[in-house]
Amino acid sequence: MDTSQPVILEMKGISKAFPGVQALENVDLVVYGGEIHGLVGKNGAGKSTLMAILMGIHQMDSGTLEINGHRFTSMTPHEALEAGIAYVPQQVRMMDSLTVAENILAGNLPVNRLGLVDWKATYQEAQERLHKLGLELDVHERVEGLGVVEQTMLAIAKALFSNAKLIILDEPTAALSRVDIDRLFGFVRSLKKMGVAFIYISHHLEEVFEICDRVTVLRNGQLVGTYVVSELDIPKLIRFMVGEDIRDYERSSSKQDDPVLVVKGLTRRGHYEEVNLVVHKGEVVGLSGLAGSGAASLGRALFGLERRGIGEIWVNGKPFTARDPRQALDQGLAYLPQDRYRFGLVGSRPVRENVTYTILHQLLNPAGLISFFKERTLVQRYINDLGVVCPSPEQRVNLLSGGNQQKVVFAKLAATRPSILVLHEPTQGIDVRAKIDIYRIVDELASQGVAILIISSEVRELLGVCDRILVMYNGKITAEFKAGEPVTTPENILLTIEGGNIYEQKQMDPVRS
Amino acid sequence: MSRSKWIQFVLDRMIWFILLLVILFFWLRAGDKFLTGINLINILLHASVLGVLTIGQTICLLSGNFDLSAEGAVSLLTVLAAWLMLPYREMTLAQAGGIGWELSPFIVIPIILVLGTVIGWINGFLITRLRMNNFIVTLAMQLFLRGLAFVISLGAIMPGTPKEFNWLGGGRIGAIPVSVIVTILLFLGFEFFLKYSRFGRELYAVGANRDAARASGFKPALTITKAYMIGGFMAGLASWMLLGRLEVSVPTLGVGMTLETVASAVIGGVALSGGSGSIMGAFSGVLLLSVVDTGLNLMEVDPFWVTGVRGLIILVALLLEVQKARIRVGAVATRSGSSTGTAAKS
Repeated sequence: MDTSQPVILEMKGISKAFPGVQALENVDLVVYGGEIHGLVGKNGAGKSTLMAILMGIHQMDSGTLEINGHRFTSMTPHEALEAGIAYVPQQVRMMDSLTVAENILAGNLPVNRLGLVDWKATYQEAQERLHKLGLELDVHERVEGLGVVEQTMLAIAKALFSNAKLIILDEPTAALSRVDIDRLFGFVRSLKKMGVAFIYISHHLEEVFEICDRVTVLRNGQLVGTYVVSELDIPKLIRFMVGEDIRDYERSSSKQDDPVLVVKGLTRRGHYEEVNLVVHKGEVVGLSGLAGSGAASLGRALFGLERRGIGEIWVNGKPFTARDPRQALDQGLAYLPQDRYRFGLVGSRPVRENVTYTILHQLLNPAGLISFFKERTLVQRYINDLGVVCPSPEQRVNLLSGGNQQKVVFAKLAATRPSILVLHEPTQGIDVRAKIDIYRIVDELASQGVAILIISSEVRELLGVCDRILVMYNGKITAEFKAGEPVTTPENILLTIEGGNIYEQKQMDPVRS
Repeated sequence: MSRSKWIQFVLDRMIWFILLLVILFFWLRAGDKFLTGINLINILLHASVLGVLTIGQTICLLSGNFDLSAEGAVSLLTVLAAWLMLPYREMTLAQAGGIGWELSPFIVIPIILVLGTVIGWINGFLITRLRMNNFIVTLAMQLFLRGLAFVISLGAIMPGTPKEFNWLGGGRIGAIPVSVIVTILLFLGFEFFLKYSRFGRELYAVGANRDAARASGFKPALTITKAYMIGGFMAGLASWMLLGRLEVSVPTLGVGMTLETVASAVIGGVALSGGSGSIMGAFSGVLLLSVVDTGLNLMEVDPFWVTGVRGLIILVALLLEVQKARIRVGAVATRSGSSTGTAAKS
């Protein structure tokens, strides 16, 4: 590390609490000029909160923040921009239908004597500015016509034109091919030579090793440490990320022998290839993978929300042919979507209605109308069984807490009495207490004989609840871990999720020592 | 808690309180002229055709879609009905007869009701299957249907519809017009229907969150198509009612009614984004517009002012709707805030 460079950013002792969660506790982060600084940690480790504080979106509860020698005790998003902090998200948002030049010079387009835009000067100036950064783009092109990587590079360039000193790159490579990643990294390295600092957030640890100088690891809102990348390797880094905390939830298996869901050779180009999996009655199977590994689209496809591609699927020994959610439910497959606000719940309607959407046809009286008596009894039973905390079944669902909303989705699915339940990130965005409740419900359903497939990136949670964990990488199932076997450790699972092979890393010792 | 429930109760029925206030205002200003039986019946009569169309509009709005085509359907179906029923006559002074088939009203009425429903189905098909924008599709449909009305009628009026046909629009049971009774029954019926039927549930779910509705096993495309079919059927019914009252077909009948139906629904608390509002709410909107029209008329206010006043009413209604949402959120925030406060203490 070149310590002759000035300190661009110094965050010290940052703490931040949200209702019910200590999101950050006493976290430090120092970034030098001309440094590419990795920031890693599992979902919920506090990366986004830390960045939100740096961007002035959230205010820290305590701690100090120094940018370029200026000290801030509180900061607005505007002040953060002024101080030279820029954020480049995974999906860059610009004025898509305008040209590259207009986007670069937006707000101060050169004008001629008549007060009209001087287009010639516009294009020339934009071209020159890009050239200085070593970025060659056609400034006449509309932004929507650029590739994803060009858009990201343009966003970085634009940030620099407005005097950014520190650029936060949030998962910039998630949608990029290898060739594009190389282009982006080349550009970032050349800017680094000019003294620009970067904070690089990624779940792809290999990339962290490829591009970063140092890396800061967060776990459960706490700082694990900041390390020089050349002195680390991937297994070590994973161990730092995972830590040694105890399992969240213990259970006994209720697995029976009859297979409920059988998938054979399912292939959809660009999403997943040759997927084979079996889930038995009463079994809980985890499926984990990075974004884009195909695990998420497999879940949606099973439920009929997306095209499924070719291959065989059997549910309870019968071919599964559902083309839309209704048919999937009728054939015994229910799905809990990742985005419960968009796909899980009708937020403005009451709990009662949300619970019974899937089974209205069972609640009709002889006149073909909904029997409110039957409905109320059923809804009340699910509210009691699942422990949904709500003032009344008539409460609008979007006024409940995240955990209770998720329980309502569970009630809605459980009401269909499914044979196989596919859960996609069932504990996302809910607090610890509710997480345990959710896994208790999963356990309860499994012991009633429901086969359960959990698609989740929360490896530790999966370890607590699953009989088996499958790992998907690049569209293929690459590994299988059975509960209770010595090889089934969070470190090994994370390694395969990252695309590694545990048998090539024999020297890896267990963490528990 | 009970206080916030009480606020909720008042907020949900805000528009009825306003309606009462407006009636009180006219009663004080226009005196006894306003609160006579004849005048009240006039108000309801005024509200009947608009009301029937508003039911259709509200159902489409609840599904998250506009139906701008209904007024075009009214133009076409009234002209068509007269054209099919009236004897042939040479056009004189822009007055004409029908095609000369002199079909019985008992054949013509089913024809226009079915045709209205078919128009709704076409709307639904274009919007859901061909994924065209609902606003544009129904706007184009409105123009197309009105164009057809002009083509069939050659722009002429066709007077003298048969008695059996006029029963719905012009008939009375005792002193009360049949159309008023039918309209009120329709509002009550649809309110009940949407509340207790599977279709009603689907409609609200699809309008409020189409993706979640689909993931819950509903078929949004089908639900929206059904909503348009109901809208089309109500346009057929409104045509029958309107032609029966006027006893003469004019190709410009229905012009401007779309905006009135949307306005009534919005005043009554139906959200343009879909999934929120009720049929009875829309009824209160219809009544408010109709009370204001009649009241201002009775006070001999310059009719040019009436349109402007309507605009103001719509603005105020929207303002109230926005404030309502805010007050509600505020009430919830304080409640949850206090609960976390106690949790922290314990």
